[in-house]
Amino acid sequence: MAGQSTSQTSQTSSSSSASPVAVIYFAILGIVTVAAGLTDLLVTASGSEFAYGILEVPNDLFRGGWGGLIMLFAGLLYLSGVRNMDDIHQFAKVTMGSILIWIIAGCDIFARITESIPSYSEETGPWFNTLPGFIEAYAPPYAPAVLLLPFSLVVLYYISKRASGETRGGNSS
Amino acid sequence: MKLSHEERWDLIDMISRETVSFGAYRHTLKDAIGELTIKPLTGIPIAIAVMYGFWSVFGSFAGFFTDGFFVRFFDAYWLPWLQEVFPGQGSFLYTIMVDAGGIESGEFVLSSNCLESFGVLTSGLFVAIGVVLPAIIIFYLTLALLEDIGYMPRLAVLIDTMLHKIGLHGYAIVPTILSLGCNVPGVAATRILETKKQRFIMMTLLAIFIPCGAQIGIMQDVVPDLMGWILLYLIIGYFIFGYILNKVIPGRAPEFLIDVPPYRRPMLSNIGKKVGGRVRGFFVVALPFVMLGCAIVGVLYQFGVIRFLGDLLAPIFVGWFGVPAETAGPLIAAFLRKDLAVAQLSVIEMTKYQMITAVVLVSIYFPCVATFAMMLKEGWKELIGALAVLVVTVFAYGGLIHLIGKLLGVA
Repeated sequence: MAGQSTSQTSQTSSSSSASPVAVIYFAILGIVTVAAGLTDLLVTASGSEFAYGILEVPNDLFRGGWGGLIMLFAGLLYLSGVRNMDDIHQFAKVTMGSILIWIIAGCDIFARITESIPSYSEETGPWFNTLPGFIEAYAPPYAPAVLLLPFSLVVLYYISKRASGETRGGNSS
Repeated sequence: MKLSHEERWDLIDMISRETVSFGAYRHTLKDAIGELTIKPLTGIPIAIAVMYGFWSVFGSFAGFFTDGFFVRFFDAYWLPWLQEVFPGQGSFLYTIMVDAGGIESGEFVLSSNCLESFGVLTSGLFVAIGVVLPAIIIFYLTLALLEDIGYMPRLAVLIDTMLHKIGLHGYAIVPTILSLGCNVPGVAATRILETKKQRFIMMTLLAIFIPCGAQIGIMQDVVPDLMGWILLYLIIGYFIFGYILNKVIPGRAPEFLIDVPPYRRPMLSNIGKKVGGRVRGFFVVALPFVMLGCAIVGVLYQFGVIRFLGDLLAPIFVGWFGVPAETAGPLIAAFLRKDLAVAQLSVIEMTKYQMITAVVLVSIYFPCVATFAMMLKEGWKELIGALAVLVVTVFAYGGLIHLIGKLLGVA
């Protein structure tokens, strides 16, 4: 139609920020995350308990079922994003994979914090947990999402690297 | 002067050439993430994750205050103190205000916790402050965060196609989610829908299938293991009956146009104002009904009205819905206080499936008095229509759940 015009032109940023190391790293993280999600789902479906060292796979419908599904999605987002990670849309998928892990792990950590503070006694007595009880609440075992949390944080380095690359690109143009 | 269609566009072009400057736009990570949250293939998994975070934080926060502090404060300090200082133990006023207690071997026995005492100053205050307040605060806080970040319009776009199947559109997610806090603002928010048909469908579905914060708080407290199944049945019912209503009710269900804002950093002052306003609104509009509901339930129990109705309707509850005869009383009382009815149900001996059926029945039952009043404000014709749908739904869906249980061999 005459006169119709777009107010902005979209352009895909492709500042080179993703090294082969990053691609391999996130591909491995993706595979591990998919495996963790599938394990969550299988353990929940079977109704059994699974713990190994500092790892404990949740088996309740909420954390194991719903949470496991999200872990699976996170892993798939990593895997679909690693190909051509220089493209901003592909990199966004990798970032989103990390954000999903942060949601699950953040909720787990928040639950531990809220459970560690009160004494949960129904009778008269101390209102708050003892110091050993408080510290013990943070001891292992941990859910897979919590164990994967530090590895997922690596994406922040690539976000800042990309941001600084874009600033340089923006300044020079 | 009258311009033709073409001349009008030419004029727009000329004005924009004079006034608008165009530059190259570089897609940022925020933009790309924004797009991911709208596309169904990636947006739905993200929405599932956001909802997980929402409920997980809700459960942890509400549990922290309710189980960690309020249960103990009300059961170990407040109730015994009131039981001791309030005069006239066993009198009518005492049973209504403090403790309905029980009779054992002809003697009046005091209740051991606030959920069983059914007094306005004990159960009423415990439900209002100990259960509902933390639930409402965290619910509205997370909702305000999602709104301010810019996620809610994306959720509306994402769910638009699905909601069109039940005669609504993406905006219907706003009253639906608001109702999970309190049905009263949810019913008020149905005004954002354009046609009478949409408003009627929305109001009816809210009144029937969306449990409020008070009820969710109590469910989280007394039947946490069954929450997932109960909510699943309610969601399925929401869509089945929405679909039927869309087919039956005449009227239009227009498309919607929405401006999706970019993701933004939330402003603390904005969130504070929103949460403060909504919590204040809940306390002013809904809380008096919580207390009044407790008082009326107490009076009806005292006069034997609930027992009489329970005995009368027990064959229907047992035969049609497949729940034990003892649930008839709480299910009748649910007309006034759904939260207390859930608490009453939790102490009755029954199978898991019967408990799920009973709690779903409480949810899809008559809306609470405050919601009832709000629906009346929207129009008495709509209210009568909604109630007619409600009666049919309770019997049809309650019977269907029983039938499913029988077919699965669990009822």
